[in-house]
Amino acid sequence: FFDQFSLTTFMGIPLIALALTLPWILFPTPQNRCLNNRLSTLQAWFIRQFTHQLFLPINQGGHKWALLLASLLIFLITLNLLGILPYTFTPTTQLSMNMGLAIPLWLATVLIGARYQPNHTLAHLLPVGTPGLLIPILIMIETISLFIRPIALGVRLTANLTAGHLLIQLISTAAFHLLFIMPSVSLLTTTLLLLLTILELAVAIIQAYVFVLLVSLYLQDS
Amino acid sequence: MLSRLVFIPASALKSSGSMGAGLVQASRCLHISPQNQAPVPPLPEKSGKVRHGIIPEEFFQFLYPKTGVTGPYVLGTGLLLYLLSKEIYVVNHETVAAASVGAVLIYAVKKFGPGIATFADKLNDEKAAKVQEVKDTAVNSLTQAIEAEKKEQWRVEGRQMLFDAKRNNVAMILETNYRERLHMVTNEVKKRLEYQVQLQNLHHRMEQEYMVDWVEKNVVKSITPQQEKESIAKCIADLKALAKTTQAKVSL
Repeated sequence: FFDQFSLTTFMGIPLIALALTLPWILFPTPQNRCLNNRLSTLQAWFIRQFTHQLFLPINQGGHKWALLLASLLIFLITLNLLGILPYTFTPTTQLSMNMGLAIPLWLATVLIGARYQPNHTLAHLLPVGTPGLLIPILIMIETISLFIRPIALGVRLTANLTAGHLLIQLISTAAFHLLFIMPSVSLLTTTLLLLLTILELAVAIIQAYVFVLLVSLYLQDS
Repeated sequence: MLSRLVFIPASALKSSGSMGAGLVQASRCLHISPQNQAPVPPLPEKSGKVRHGIIPEEFFQFLYPKTGVTGPYVLGTGLLLYLLSKEIYVVNHETVAAASVGAVLIYAVKKFGPGIATFADKLNDEKAAKVQEVKDTAVNSLTQAIEAEKKEQWRVEGRQMLFDAKRNNVAMILETNYRERLHMVTNEVKKRLEYQVQLQNLHHRMEQEYMVDWVEKNVVKSITPQQEKESIAKCIADLKALAKTTQAKVSL
């Protein structure tokens, strides 16, 4: 059952390379026409909406991150949605890849904040208005929470996707085998469908990912 | 197989019927370099026709001459049955997963597809309307400018009439002025002439008076004293007679 989670080298090419590069075919590049076909229009509209929403709170030099975060969103959404289809491999289920995305980005926000506004960054470690006695403890807690962020980001993504895929696998196996012992199948398949719909909230996971990244960025006031 | 899986979900994911254009887009991006096709050929307005949401219509047309209408369906069924019976495609749990995925996707597309299609069309139409509006505004303002220009030209003609009227005015004023001065001149001349006439009259009168005076003087001179006494006595006698008659009248 865990076959799909091993980093296979199928036909000599590590599958992950294929899975990471091929999805870009799906999205047409904007054509610089006034009126495009529906797909391009929708895509352009969606990207613009998302970027606008994402950068409303920041409104500063943080806009440099716009391209990175938007493409990150599209990348992760595509990977996850494609992974729902049968017989596909989802790279984001690999912890290595997710941590590879999480740690550098988080580290970048911390370093940028520390370099340009060290006082401000340190000030974030202590929320306002705490009574004097709690200060040392709170600093510890805030530091720990700061360092746990990348781990949380990566592991959240991995765990959610892996768990989702696994559940689908298990339930579909159960449904399949129970197909020959009729009654329970319908119930199981219904559950399976529901799970699938929810899994199409893999998209939401991606939003969460980028959002948390955004939050740290925003807090660092880059 | 994997690439086919990638292509088919592409259309299934966003198939508001726009798959054909999407694919054409993808391939066109790779082949165009800007120097070769300077006037960009227009995008097809409607996407390529697809049957059953996935398989393009051209496939059916391609098979039509050899196999007729049922050709592709027979091909599809036969292929499927072949794969299944020979266990080239094994039915396992993934099939169930695939079935549920397919069901969810088809449901979503059927439900939200037209909505999204109209939305995308609306976006496009808004853009077109904006540009059209710009064009219309430009056309309108230009038409108005043309009309204003024509009006100005008409006004210019009118202005000629205005000039004529003014010219007439000025001529009249000049005429009036001239007449007034003529009048004045006549009056002055008449005054001068009258003066001369008066002068002559005066001369006449003075001569007459002088003559009368001279005659009187001579007459008075010529009255001798003898004559004077006679006339006085006569006068007294007349007076006495008159007094008598008057007294008589009074006593009556």
